[in-house]
Amino acid sequence: MNHDPFAWGRPLNETYGEYNYNIANASSVTSHRNPKMATQQPIVTGSSVLAIKFKDGVIMAADNLASYGSLARFDNVERLLQVGKDTIVGCSGDISDFQKIERLLDDLEIEDGYDIENYELKANHIHEYLSRVFYNRRSKMDPLWNSCLVGGFDADSGEPFLKYVDLLGVTYGADSLATGFGSHLAIPLLRKKLDSDDAVKNLTEEEGIKLISECMKVLYYRDARSLDKYSLAIIKKDDVKLIKGLRCEDMSWRFASGIRGYGN
Amino acid sequence: MSASSFAEGKATIASEYSSEVRREPIEHQFNPYSDNGGTILGIAGKDFAVLAGDTRHTTGYSINSRYEPKVFDAGDGFLISANGFSADGNALVKRFQNQLKWYHFNHGKKMGIRSGARFIQHLLYGKRFFPYYVHTIIAGLDEEGKGAVFSFDPIGSYEREQCRAGGSAASLIMPFLDNQVNFKNQLDPESNGTKKKELRYLSLEEVLKLVKDSFSSATERHILVGDGLEIMIVTKEGVRTEYYPLKKD
Amino acid sequence: MSDPSSINGGSAVAMMGKDCVAIACDLRLGSQSLGLANNFEKIFNFGHVFLGLAGLATDVTTLSEIFRMKTNLYKMKEERLIEPESFANLVSSTLYERRFGPYFVSPIVAGINSKTDKPFICGFDLIGCIDYAKDFIVAGTSSDQLFGMCESLYEPNLEPEDLFETISQALLSATDRDALSGWGAVVYIITKDKVLFLIYFF
Repeated sequence: MNHDPFAWGRPLNETYGEYNYNIANASSVTSHRNPKMATQQPIVTGSSVLAIKFKDGVIMAADNLASYGSLARFDNVERLLQVGKDTIVGCSGDISDFQKIERLLDDLEIEDGYDIENYELKANHIHEYLSRVFYNRRSKMDPLWNSCLVGGFDADSGEPFLKYVDLLGVTYGADSLATGFGSHLAIPLLRKKLDSDDAVKNLTEEEGIKLISECMKVLYYRDARSLDKYSLAIIKKDDVKLIKGLRCEDMSWRFASGIRGYGN
Repeated sequence: MSASSFAEGKATIASEYSSEVRREPIEHQFNPYSDNGGTILGIAGKDFAVLAGDTRHTTGYSINSRYEPKVFDAGDGFLISANGFSADGNALVKRFQNQLKWYHFNHGKKMGIRSGARFIQHLLYGKRFFPYYVHTIIAGLDEEGKGAVFSFDPIGSYEREQCRAGGSAASLIMPFLDNQVNFKNQLDPESNGTKKKELRYLSLEEVLKLVKDSFSSATERHILVGDGLEIMIVTKEGVRTEYYPLKKD
Repeated sequence: MSDPSSINGGSAVAMMGKDCVAIACDLRLGSQSLGLANNFEKIFNFGHVFLGLAGLATDVTTLSEIFRMKTNLYKMKEERLIEPESFANLVSSTLYERRFGPYFVSPIVAGINSKTDKPFICGFDLIGCIDYAKDFIVAGTSSDQLFGMCESLYEPNLEPEDLFETISQALLSATDRDALSGWGAVVYIITKDKVLFLIYFF
């Protein structure tokens, strides 16, 4: 056995001959460790997540599709996750990484419950935690391949909270946010309505839901990796309504008959 | 493409007989960096310093947010901004703020601006081989109460200066600052072109005017700059913030 | 840097004033970071029309000769000098002829129409797309710096003396922040009575 501290426990070259690093494409730099595995690309993916602030809180939506490349693989996947009393995390990107995040947040909630009494996790805490997880993983060159929205309330001000975080650890906040295709298709529509602080203060729950569901329809029309079945979360103080199995309604596909490739 | 390259283990498909056999691996690597645009600007005066930045946050051609602050009051009269890849920028600022707290616990006194600058050099150089992709500027008052601006490259090389622009529109703003703050290329009109215009400290009003002009010009000609301008001003009275809207297009 | 338009370096700028125009350029000719000459003028005049050519030096020289020939032929055929507007279109079509093997230049044109006395400036990309402007046009390796300077120093309807000061400060401060430009400058102020000021800085 090799007693060199940097190659402890490895077979001695003198006895067994030189190790063939080409086996499993192991690089010689990491040869004393196991081959390193890291996410190189997302596999099973979710598409856009949309969210807006409104009068009493935040509304968030994501469809129920998980794609395997261009294959619509799973059509009953929940991508909105409730954390604590009034926080929702919406995730797009790799679904297995999302499930890892689910577990991390679950652990966080349990640990937090043990350690600190009369203290609850609010949206800004969850967002800070997630951004550090994402940033640390990207710094290890082993990212969690997701873009997430975190909606809820700020612990200090009690104001509606909505922020974004992605696989690079990049974060930003705004009155209306979207991930994936939504940032191209839905954001212009959302910003048209929510163009000022006053517009947010005046937007009712009904108007907000209508706006979001309109955008989900636009996404289903134009994003090939989307589904007409989606979940909607209405986040108000100490109250989250997670409505599942909604459908895009009143759609018209008559234009499709004039376009080659839409099934004719 | 020789057969030996297959033997060396470069092939990506096990079978040599496959019609899709690829002798060289497809290079695809995760890119840990991105550019979030924006621009920052610091100017030191006689007994004040300002650090300003636009509030637009972008990736590619998308505007992520029209108000995402990137100039921070770190405490002890330090203004700091790290412009470039925003995840690295925020990480750097947070690390600095955290260490500043520890400095207070350990030494029970305010950190001087020159110590702060040297410390930031170490934070940046500590990641020499996986750098923070940011142009960092700090502003504050020195031990004599004079305005001070320090600017850093991504790996910690730094210098004290009278003024500095950083970020995407730095190349547009910096020559304007040379001309209007340090009076470069300007002559004394009295001397009939024989003497340079003499240097003098600018007043806070003059500096704020230059900052606003710089940013409205940069907004006009640079697509990653705009939406809002946040100016932080540090004097012996403390730190205050001013906000001015910029064009949103 | 193997980008042909930034091998030799150099910059040019044009501005419009009240009944006058100005055009200026630096004098550097280099080979990447090595400076070769400090007398490489990038502004050429064909009658009362002025052409600034920033970019690959060989193309600058070639194009200036091509336009000398073309404007001389024009003069013989039309029995008058070419006007700025017509010259701009001549530049555009000449560049577009080489659409798929272009000259690596960013030309700018400045002049005053001798019939209408209207000042005229414009710029082009390397394949001849015309950019008409009523304020200023910048070109060359310090175009970013020139944009910043011009956007903040320029104001409309300047008298010739003030326009001279503005364009000079803009060019000098801009080229000072560009390693590939500088090493002297030339400024032309053009008024309708065809008085030209030619000023060198070193």
